Amino acid sequence: MATPDSTSIELNALLSQVGLGQRSALEALYQRTSKHLFAVVSRICPQAGLAEEVLQEVYINVWRSASSYEASRAHALTWLTSVARNKAIDALRKHKHLKQEVVVQSSDDSSEGQEEFLHQVADSRLNPSQLLEQASQSMSIQDCLDALSTDQQKSIALTFYEGLTHEEAALKLAKPLGTVKTWVRRGLQALKPCLDRASISAA
Amino acid sequence: MDYSRPLLIDALASSYVQGTLHGGARRRFETLLLAHPAMRNAVHRWQARLAPLSQSIAPIAPPASVWRGIERRLFGAALAPQSWWQKLIASAGVWQAISGATACLAMVAIGLLSTASQAPVVVVLNSGAGVQQFVASVNKDGHSLTLTPVASSAAAPSGKSLQLWALPSQGQPQSLGVLASNAPYQLQTSRLQAGLLSANAFAVSVEPLGGSPTGLPTGEVIASGKVF
Repeated sequence: MATPDSTSIELNALLSQVGLGQRSALEALYQRTSKHLFAVVSRICPQAGLAEEVLQEVYINVWRSASSYEASRAHALTWLTSVARNKAIDALRKHKHLKQEVVVQSSDDSSEGQEEFLHQVADSRLNPSQLLEQASQSMSIQDCLDALSTDQQKSIALTFYEGLTHEEAALKLAKPLGTVKTWVRRGLQALKPCLDRASISAA
Repeated sequence: MDYSRPLLIDALASSYVQGTLHGGARRRFETLLLAHPAMRNAVHRWQARLAPLSQSIAPIAPPASVWRGIERRLFGAALAPQSWWQKLIASAGVWQAISGATACLAMVAIGLLSTASQAPVVVVLNSGAGVQQFVASVNKDGHSLTLTPVASSAAAPSGKSLQLWALPSQGQPQSLGVLASNAPYQLQTSRLQAGLLSANAFAVSVEPLGGSPTGLPTGEVIASGKVF
């Protein structure tokens, strides 16, 4: 499954060394991959300080579980990204849960609102749909995406890149929950054979 | 629910990897993954399929504090170069200076303490001022230890406990237990995964009654000694 390009060979080797408990390999792996993983995590956890905390958890988890990584099954970067996404999604859900409890206790959440507003104003990054568009162009999976409706693309982009639940995506898109669920599910099913073909031809 | 149904597994795996599976369902699925290879396969395939989507996110350099935090949490290093156990392990020179008297004491200790057929490893724990406080004798199998106080000052102040620590070459001290006052302390252990002989040094610290509340030394170190 793994494409034998030099980057993935190198990352696979580093990850194997981390699995054997080599500290220097962990540092090298961090230098090579932390910028990508931090970006992935920051998308899902935009709250101040949370992404940093999650990234620490990610590499601590990598240090402890690298010995279970199987190079024959996945690219090192795919494995690392999956660890990062899972940690980020868990942290986001936990954070939201805590935030809801705090809001119940305190009616004065204006500073938080301002902070989020400033964050949005300062955020010049691509929105989720643009990210999906860019990914499809650079990874030659445009034809896969083209088979999806705009609504399907939007709902997949929101849930994938920002870690939104179906409910949150439905609120954001102002569409019924059932409709959004169907867009995501059918969209992913439609992508499946196409992405499989793309990964085979890339390998 | 019949988790052997391939379509159901595939749908759950896609939802898990996509991130929309949440709450209790996500936890249950993660638990099931451990026991069901077919589910793991489905997850791996979805991770590979969706991996290209993450590639368009522009990299962001994390602040340097993240790596320092990782090092500190995994190896107890970086932000804590000033912690006493780091210095202890680093200051090899101090250990070369252990006197002939200590060696004599060590020989006596072997005679006194050895009950195993093989000679134990003996470690003398000195105070900061170089006064011998304890003798630790570790069996060759690395799984039992006897710590004997050799000085009257090797006792806990009133309302405090003394706690024995093993210091591995990397990472944080591991507690070997709270000492009974003024009596040899016997320890049969599998607490240190690789055995007591993997420790680089031992130390005794003054802790609140009953032992350190944090699992790491919090009080003054009254004695320490390096394993040769």
